[in-house]
Amino acid sequence: MPNDIPVHAKERLKGLRSSAHSTGVFTSDFSVNEFLLVRKAGFEPIGLCVGTCVYHVGIQYGSWNKNQELDVLSKAMYHARELAMSRMRAEAAAMGADGIVGVKLRIKRLAWDEQLLEFIAIGTGVVHGDGHKGFRAHDGGPFTSDLSGQDFWALLHSGYRPVEMVMGSCVYHVAHRGALAGLAMAGRNVEMENFTSAMYEAREIAVERMQFEAAAAKAEGVVGVDIHEGSHGWQTHVIEFFAIGTAVLPLDQEIAPEKIADPIMVLSVND
Amino acid sequence: MGLFDFFKKPDPEVLAAREASERRQADILMSLRANRVPTATLERLQGARAKKLPWIATLTPAELMVARSHGLKPIATISATCWLHYGWSWTLGHGEGWGLALRRLKEEARAAGANAVLDVKMRTIPLGIENSMDFTLVGTAVYVDGLPPSNDPIIATVPALEFVKLLEADVVPTGIAIGAHYEWMADWRGNANMSWMGNTESRALSNLWEKVRQRAHADLRNNAKPQGNGVLAHLNFSQMFEQEGGENRPKQYLARHIVIATTVDARRGTPFQHDIKIVVDVHDGGTPLTGTTRHHQSYATNEKEGGI
Repeated sequence: MPNDIPVHAKERLKGLRSSAHSTGVFTSDFSVNEFLLVRKAGFEPIGLCVGTCVYHVGIQYGSWNKNQELDVLSKAMYHARELAMSRMRAEAAAMGADGIVGVKLRIKRLAWDEQLLEFIAIGTGVVHGDGHKGFRAHDGGPFTSDLSGQDFWALLHSGYRPVEMVMGSCVYHVAHRGALAGLAMAGRNVEMENFTSAMYEAREIAVERMQFEAAAAKAEGVVGVDIHEGSHGWQTHVIEFFAIGTAVLPLDQEIAPEKIADPIMVLSVND
Repeated sequence: MGLFDFFKKPDPEVLAAREASERRQADILMSLRANRVPTATLERLQGARAKKLPWIATLTPAELMVARSHGLKPIATISATCWLHYGWSWTLGHGEGWGLALRRLKEEARAAGANAVLDVKMRTIPLGIENSMDFTLVGTAVYVDGLPPSNDPIIATVPALEFVKLLEADVVPTGIAIGAHYEWMADWRGNANMSWMGNTESRALSNLWEKVRQRAHADLRNNAKPQGNGVLAHLNFSQMFEQEGGENRPKQYLARHIVIATTVDARRGTPFQHDIKIVVDVHDGGTPLTGTTRHHQSYATNEKEGGI
């Protein structure tokens, strides 16, 4: 047998094991690769953290011919996500986690009531292997991040650490156009300026809100941002812009650029 | 077979085959009841163990290469099934079904003289027969060169490559843990009925969910404890249903949550010895170095329609 399998693993293969673990059982939803890389980064998973919120979303109709934010819906989407996230974070804090990696935020519509939405936040609470508390968020609580285990490792090796998963939401009503406007455009290529400006404004509001959250978390920047455009069963002219990313801060000891490894090029012969 | 062959007496060959099948089925039944491997399977596994029969592996040639480079040799493909009828709980039936299948798989692995079972896959035939479901496990029993057979073979629900990566990091995947919980909530006061309300959290339903999920996860921990000191949970499944009320009967809500995980036995604080090098695959395909979201989605429908 090759020597690269450690003694403990070999003992286990022989069928020998210490049944009582003094450290208790950790739970996580990491893949094998994520698990190995989070440990390589110096962290240990301690437990799955879940936050749930079932939310009744109020009703709001936009004016037929007006571009406007539907603040009742925006607030609902924001508040419900916030509740799910804060519950997840409270669970992590209760188990003594320094942070949560790989947070997945999902929304489900409940079948019997179209105004009931279920928000679920789930991620794996981790602690620093040497008990270093410098990775916690600015309020001393666990950091949150939607980065995978691989991305978490890569972020630390690029000289940054995650602080907080930040988001911004804006539900927006895009104005309908009058019959005359339609007639005036018949047979011509014309920009539909009110639609364009609606997209601009809604996106801007969502991004600004996310950036505001990052500033409040005293972060230097936000990585892995994605802007989702979606509709949760609202009328056709209602769109939600949702910006989400992980706010980051530089590590205590910033890594010099020349110390950061350059990727090596390989060509895989896979299909 | 002709139309009138029904009336003929079956020939001795057919009769013998029928009898053999009946004997085999009776043996399977008795063996499973006695927590033993069925005789025919046992003979096959012992034949493979003694190298009188060829080995059988679910591994691809590439996986076989990785396994061999770490001193692992295949013995036999082994499997176990438990077809379970849910009595009073569909949710809790999953824990029982997989648990029983896992125990049977371990028996087969022991009979094969294995140290471990790799690449264990969880299977179910999509047939909703009479409130029941089959819980089937299929994997490859392997032994490690130079080690005696184990009395407690480890069950790894990960492929060969991940298995050896974990072993090198002093982490042993050991089995499967299930966490399941369900709860009914009778809504006597109509707390969950929120029509005509504005933005409000449904505390009743949120609390129900929180409770169900937390208990499922606590159940997962308890289930994992005899097998290792951690789990990698790859499946989180949850559902909520509303049941209309009637006369003198309130509306009811059912929430259920099932978590299925690979258990691991990990030495805390053991560093992963391998160096990590960042490589870019210049083959076209997804890599985080080129972002994870699609760069063009405006013309996505064109491809589906078969444009040009």
